[in-house]
Amino acid sequence: MNTRVVRWVVQGILLLGLAAAGCATFGPPGDSFSIAAEAQYGDPARRASTRLLLRGLKADESWHFREAVVLYERALQVDPTNPWAYLCRARFEVAQGDPERALDYLDKVEALLPSEPGAAGARAHLAGLRGTALAILGYTSRAEPLLAAAKRGAPRKWADGQLDASELQ
Amino acid sequence: MGDRGVDFVAAARRKRGGRARRGFRQGAPAARRIRWRRRFRALAIGMLVLGFGLGFVAARTTLQLDRIVRHRFEGRLFRVASQVLSAPTILYPGLDWKQVDLRGTLLRLGYRQSSRADPLPVGRFYWEGRRVRLHRRAFEHPSRAEPSRDITMWLDGNVIGALRDAQTGRELGAVFLEPELVGAYYGPHHEQRDLVKVDDVPPYLIEAVLAVEDQRFLSHRGIDLRRIFGAFVANLRAGSITQGGSTLTQQLVKNFFLTPERSYKRKAQEALMALLVEAHYDKRAILEAYLNEIYLGQRGSTAIHGVGEAAKFYFGKDVRRLSLAESALIAAVIQSPNGLSPHREPERARKRRDLVLRLMKEQGRIDEVAYEEAVAEPLRVARIVPEPQEARYFLDALRRQLPDFYGTDTLTTEGLRIYSTLDLRLQRAATVAVREALARLEKQSKSLRPHGSERLQACLVALRPQTGEVLALVGGRDYAQSQFNRCTQAHRPAGSVFKPFVYIAGLEATQGPPVITLASELDDEPLEVATRAGPWRPRNFDRVFHGEVSVRTALEHSYNVATARLGQRVGIQRVVDVAHRLGIESPLPEVPSLAIGAADISPLELARAYATIANGGIRPRIRTFEDVVDPRGGTVERQPIRFKRVLDAGTAFLATSLLEGVVDRGTARAIRGAGIRGPVAGKTGTSDDLRDAWFAGFTPELVVVVWVGFDAPRSLGMASSGVAVPLWIRFMRAVTGGHVRGAFLRPGDVARVDIQPGTGALALAGCPERRPEYFLRGTEPEQTCPKWGGRSRGPRGGIEGWLEDLFGGGDER
Repeated sequence: MNTRVVRWVVQGILLLGLAAAGCATFGPPGDSFSIAAEAQYGDPARRASTRLLLRGLKADESWHFREAVVLYERALQVDPTNPWAYLCRARFEVAQGDPERALDYLDKVEALLPSEPGAAGARAHLAGLRGTALAILGYTSRAEPLLAAAKRGAPRKWADGQLDASELQ
Repeated sequence: MGDRGVDFVAAARRKRGGRARRGFRQGAPAARRIRWRRRFRALAIGMLVLGFGLGFVAARTTLQLDRIVRHRFEGRLFRVASQVLSAPTILYPGLDWKQVDLRGTLLRLGYRQSSRADPLPVGRFYWEGRRVRLHRRAFEHPSRAEPSRDITMWLDGNVIGALRDAQTGRELGAVFLEPELVGAYYGPHHEQRDLVKVDDVPPYLIEAVLAVEDQRFLSHRGIDLRRIFGAFVANLRAGSITQGGSTLTQQLVKNFFLTPERSYKRKAQEALMALLVEAHYDKRAILEAYLNEIYLGQRGSTAIHGVGEAAKFYFGKDVRRLSLAESALIAAVIQSPNGLSPHREPERARKRRDLVLRLMKEQGRIDEVAYEEAVAEPLRVARIVPEPQEARYFLDALRRQLPDFYGTDTLTTEGLRIYSTLDLRLQRAATVAVREALARLEKQSKSLRPHGSERLQACLVALRPQTGEVLALVGGRDYAQSQFNRCTQAHRPAGSVFKPFVYIAGLEATQGPPVITLASELDDEPLEVATRAGPWRPRNFDRVFHGEVSVRTALEHSYNVATARLGQRVGIQRVVDVAHRLGIESPLPEVPSLAIGAADISPLELARAYATIANGGIRPRIRTFEDVVDPRGGTVERQPIRFKRVLDAGTAFLATSLLEGVVDRGTARAIRGAGIRGPVAGKTGTSDDLRDAWFAGFTPELVVVVWVGFDAPRSLGMASSGVAVPLWIRFMRAVTGGHVRGAFLRPGDVARVDIQPGTGALALAGCPERRPEYFLRGTEPEQTCPKWGGRSRGPRGGIEGWLEDLFGGGDER
């Protein structure tokens, strides 16, 4: 009897684990997108550049904004075609309240995105950041569908209507 | 005889005459007293006047000198040249260390190669086979201070295989090396100094300086009478001036205020001023001023002043890290920085250093053990790293980009640190490429050799298209001969490098469909356009009309007539608009010949316009620096990255594709012939009468514009492909090794379909010949080959086309 209960418990735990893993794997792509994961891809310059972005995001998260900007720029120095560098910078500009500049960076992400393996995951954040920037600029009607798309694509990360530096890491 | 003598005297007295004499002769004591009193009074008045006069002069002089002393000490004490630094080198796994010249970079940064890996002091590196260990120095940066770091690199062929923290073994993603010095904005005396606080100077160095230069510095009041007397006796014995009696304060005063002239007047002034300095300021302030002022050596034309700069110059390290022996050496060279130079006169320098150490020991400043250890230390100095001269044109361009506030006076005195965008590796490659290419051209062609003082000139500017950062800029072949910057100041006829703007105007869908697609045909037949100056009849370079040609062929072979006709179709106003949007700032004439480059533009603005194309239609702002930092480390100016979309990504991609054809098959095919592989696009340009040769080329990460010509325009005797393209190739081969990284990305609104060459019709199954072509979505050809084929998704119909629609293209070229 006891053995059977233990077996059920173990099986239950395993099933729950599998379900959780499945959700993580097949969940909304925006929630599973991370710069850390992207740092595994690409040629050496891309990987080094993306690792610098991770350092930048950490600095950004701990309010060392000046250092974060420099690290984002260094990432561009190593690989100027790294879309995640523009994505991080766009997020930074939205957070700093410079929506126009954020939109410029988002344009750049859009231009570089097609060839990226992580493109599908990033699109939700792109939509969310663009929506936020447009909302700050007062274009509410254009912003709303974009923000809704962000919440659909990354419900966990966009639950509070914004994207923190830690949520991109 | 006696009477006669008396009479003679009396006669003589009479002859001299005077009442007093007569009165004296009268012999009255009262009169004598009066006379003496008068004399005394006159003398006293004279003395008083003299005393008053002297006192007045002395007081006035003292006050004047005091004013001078205080003005200097309480104002700007030193002129410190502002330094321009390069972008930092970033090391990471996978980096081609040969390409970035790792060893050369370390040596230029003043790192010394060590024969042992353990222990490895800061500022040293150890290189053994595949393993490189580097103890990187701490360095300041506008965002944060980078601490010193001990790292190990494992080399794997030409690349860095792994990068680890030598202490913890932790793998590192990237490591920054400190920025290299690009140059400085010097004042008239060409001095360089790194100001230090007295608290940052190691006690050994202060003790060494005091031991040899002024051992009673802490007790005297500016002048040291004992020392003066001692020097006087020594000089008397020697029969010449062998010793000076100057204190540190006097030396400081002499350097600050006086000329090197040896005179009593100057010596008196020096002494008086030294007393005044000591009266006003404490010993710490005086010592700090001395340690920053003292001349300590020469690097080329630059004078090294102060112990901070000297520590870097002689030992490649921060003054705080100097050892006792190194401190003694710096103190040793004060007497004669050139005669005792450890670089040129190592033996004399060592002897003098040992003397300083002995004096320190004798004066009780160090103990016997420290003395023995320091004396046993061999003389080790860093290699002299000559100040780079290749970036002088860049420095001028940077200065022009700074706000007006940063005038010559500010830049030459305030000791600012300007973190520039310059990549010194690219800059060196550019300098060498310009020099060698011009020398080769002069050797090749007699007409290109110097005519009198006029020599063939060239300029090269390299930008990062995404950020607009200037990575290299050479404004001429020799800055010493001509400071005219041909990249930024010269405006020369553009010729065919202007043509892409015409094609972009034709390809861009603004209001309605575009005038042309890449499948269109252009008419390269005789053309006559009526202008105010009479009929204009453009001709091709080869003097031949080519009939119907494809858009690609017309640009790849730079056909003037076809392009001029396209210019007429799209309208010159629109061409002007496109050129301005992309980044051309010079005024452009609205004349038909503008289509084939009848406009004077600068290489830098052309580079910016091509960067916009390379950047997918996003125009970057030109950026030469990131930060300007004051001596306290505060950022006083920042130039952020700025860009703006001015052209849709699809049209920019079509233009890029056209320009790739120029490199693959057209007038710049020598690039492929030279073995440069990967994504490269560009356009040649030759102005009328072969006076200017241009090549504007780009890769996904680099835009490089080259111009070659004479300042006073005259024919080069050959087209751009033989003049500017070889220079471009030389540079690109040096910086990429012939392998260009990345890809030009096809945006989602561009479709790739097969067309039938010649007709431009959509090639369906059964079409006898086909080639792929790009179109803005919705502008694909309507006509099909074979004619009876139905309009479908084209050759990529079915599942392929469906997938492409779903995922938005995404193939790389």
